[in-house]
Amino acid sequence: MDGRDLILTNVTKRFGGLVAVDDLSLHVRPGQIYGLIGPNGAGKTTAFNCITGIHACEEGSITWGGEEIRLLPPHKIVQRGIVRTFQTIRLFSQMSVAENVMSGRHIKSMQKWWHGIIHTPASKRDEKDNWRAVFDILEFFDLEKYAAYIVGALPYGIQRRVEMARAMAIDPTLLILDEPAAGLNDNETLALIETIYRIRERGITVLLIEHDMDLVMEVTEYLTVINFGKKIAQGTPEEIQKNPAVIEAYLGSEDDDF
Amino acid sequence: MMKKLQQLGYPLFFIVMALLPVGLNDRWLAIATTFIIFTIVALSQDVVLGKAGMFNMGQALFFGMGAYTSAILNAHFGWPLLATLPVAILIPSIFGILLAGPIIHLRGDYLLVATIGFNIVFVQVLENNLGGLTGGPNGIFGLQMLTIPGLAFLQNFTPYYIALIALLLTLLIFRNLETSKAGRALHYLREDDLAAGSIGINTRVYKIFSFGLGAGIAGMAGTVYANQYSAVSPEAFNFIQSVLFFTIVLVGGSSVPGIILGVFVMFILPEIFREFATWRYFIFGFAMIFAMILRPRGLWPAKFGRIPKAFLEKG
Amino acid sequence: MDTFLQQLVNGLTIGSMFALIALGYTMVYGVMKLINFAHGDLVACSAFVGLFVFSQLLGGKTSVFVVVGVFLITIVIIAFLGLLLERLAYRPLRNAPRLSAVVSALGASMVIENGIMLLWGPQMRIFPELIPMITWNFQGVVLSLIQIIIMLLSMVLMVGLYLFIEKTKIGAAIRASSIDQDAARLMGINVDTIIATIFLIGSALGAVGGIFVGLYYRGITFNMGWLYGLYAFVAAIIGGIGNIPGAMLGGLLLGLFNAFIAGYVSSTWANAFTFTLLIVILIFRPTGILGERVAEKV
Repeated sequence: MDGRDLILTNVTKRFGGLVAVDDLSLHVRPGQIYGLIGPNGAGKTTAFNCITGIHACEEGSITWGGEEIRLLPPHKIVQRGIVRTFQTIRLFSQMSVAENVMSGRHIKSMQKWWHGIIHTPASKRDEKDNWRAVFDILEFFDLEKYAAYIVGALPYGIQRRVEMARAMAIDPTLLILDEPAAGLNDNETLALIETIYRIRERGITVLLIEHDMDLVMEVTEYLTVINFGKKIAQGTPEEIQKNPAVIEAYLGSEDDDF
Repeated sequence: MMKKLQQLGYPLFFIVMALLPVGLNDRWLAIATTFIIFTIVALSQDVVLGKAGMFNMGQALFFGMGAYTSAILNAHFGWPLLATLPVAILIPSIFGILLAGPIIHLRGDYLLVATIGFNIVFVQVLENNLGGLTGGPNGIFGLQMLTIPGLAFLQNFTPYYIALIALLLTLLIFRNLETSKAGRALHYLREDDLAAGSIGINTRVYKIFSFGLGAGIAGMAGTVYANQYSAVSPEAFNFIQSVLFFTIVLVGGSSVPGIILGVFVMFILPEIFREFATWRYFIFGFAMIFAMILRPRGLWPAKFGRIPKAFLEKG
Repeated sequence: MDTFLQQLVNGLTIGSMFALIALGYTMVYGVMKLINFAHGDLVACSAFVGLFVFSQLLGGKTSVFVVVGVFLITIVIIAFLGLLLERLAYRPLRNAPRLSAVVSALGASMVIENGIMLLWGPQMRIFPELIPMITWNFQGVVLSLIQIIIMLLSMVLMVGLYLFIEKTKIGAAIRASSIDQDAARLMGINVDTIIATIFLIGSALGAVGGIFVGLYYRGITFNMGWLYGLYAFVAAIIGGIGNIPGAMLGGLLLGLFNAFIAGYVSSTWANAFTFTLLIVILIFRPTGILGERVAEKV
């Protein structure tokens, strides 16, 4: 499969006087399920935003398969195979489930801007192919019956699945999940774990932020723990559980999931 | 029932519009022709405002650019009007792309004011008879109108049918747009710009595309308009006209029926109530306020769910 | 040198008027992020109301007492109209999509503009000569009493507003609402009252501006509001939208710019130059000279 590594080296992101991400380094290997954890406000989402181009981080380097991607805008990061989901779901809430997933096929489509004015046989075929792919993905995520529903009106758990379906439609090499279990009940969380395994079986690397420690311990192979933007520990889930600095960080804050 | 209506809607509309001139006197024929032309401009406005969600209040600029391009080429350089059409589409499109580039990142209200600014500059350039070409405040007269060879007996109706053909073309483009990657991209970036970027859409390129496309369609409408009156003048393209097109899209709603409805309400109704000349716009203003309070998304808002039927049947 | 000083005088006069009108825009935009398109028409309305008050209510013969009366009564009427405008056209759309509020503003503009036309007719009317046309000539530069009064009174009002915003509790509440409406509400500020207040003040200042327009240009038409409104909005943007000293500065600068274009180029290009300036500023420094102060919608 695609053997690209995501390597962060000394990444720092400041907002005015506040240092949100402080000299962070980590190394995600192909096929891994990697976790980034830490108490609330530790800077995890900001780190993700730096990777995916939403924030420009001033210092450090972010390489993907050897290529420096630190200063690329979001759409160029996606073109290189890195796709993310959001902590607060960012779906196109007034549109149907199928159209939302179809948005994921945007970069997979060969159509040019003029196909918006005149169709050609090739563009019509492209449309058919992409809609077919959309429905295949809906099947994978057990969402076919919701295809025509307006996404904003659906229950939270289903919206989360649609968001993952959309991310998968882009055919990512690295999937970045920002708190995918937030707001899910136990059953839905179990289904999520299943889904993450199925995704990894397809050869996709997964990098996730999560507060649900059961999920983290079960699913991840390697973790980096950060607090106040700085890395305080890294290792396998077993090692992290016993790490005194980590325990201190979580007990010191009000986190109760640990 | 709704589906049947939708399927019949367009053919029915065109049949009615094709037969309409027979029952109209001269004044109402002219109004109907302008109605069609304004519908085309409003549709072009919808590409930028309704679909791509950008606050553009300067569409009359591109409308006028197309009209004046045709007028200048025809009156000063002797080009037949039909030949001016491609140029009248191309030049506004290029300007649409060039002007959009530097302002597209601006926050909504600022973009609005910038487009008004472009419109005002344009009109003043026209009025000042730049290079002796634009004809000053009175505009350019005496254009050679388009004729359909062999149908000379329909001479009176020619401007109307030319407009109708242009509308048909516009609606075909719209249908193609809605079932294409580019068209969907506009919807996505309107709904959530950040999310659209995060799934790989180069939002900047598509925003500029929408400006260019809207400008081109408006330019085409401009030529048809110049043809109808065989003249062009600056005041037909001032920013007050832009406000009209802007309002049509928002009051009518960002859908084809909505826009046709919007043009009817904002243009035909005042004509019907011409007798109440002094009162009509006064009442109108109130109507606009109430329309927004009661139907903030327009009389006939856009609907999504444009999923190809073939796939829906399976699920 | 004569032309330069003359245009300077003219520019500061026009600029003062722009500044007064711009203040109405900037205060409303700062708190509500809404371009009050009807503001310019209120300004136009005030010129007509002033005409009406003078000729129908105060006897048609000028005196200091009458001039003061025209100002005060017009201000009260227009301020009241401003409150009505907010109540009917904007408040119901607080939670609607932004564009709907824009259309409502345009509708309100139409109502006021055509209301003026219905009441006073479409032709140009002549504003009465409330202030005698006394001029002084300093080595080729003409300065009129009207210009002095406009500049002085505008200055007094602007300083007064500045002190009000910076030194009073209500002023602080306005500034707070400009920065974060929700936080202001949580601090116990009645944002509805604040909004009503800024419409009141903004309209009152606009009313003074409108009377000045009448005094200075004498000819008034029912549809002159749009252009003054746009110019004033440009001034507000130049200075930094939502920023009150900014609107004052922007108004004066724009007045000077306009006067110099009219003096050195041609008045038929004034619009083109002004709006090109606007576009350049929007592209290169959209926050304006003194920086914006707008409610953050997170």
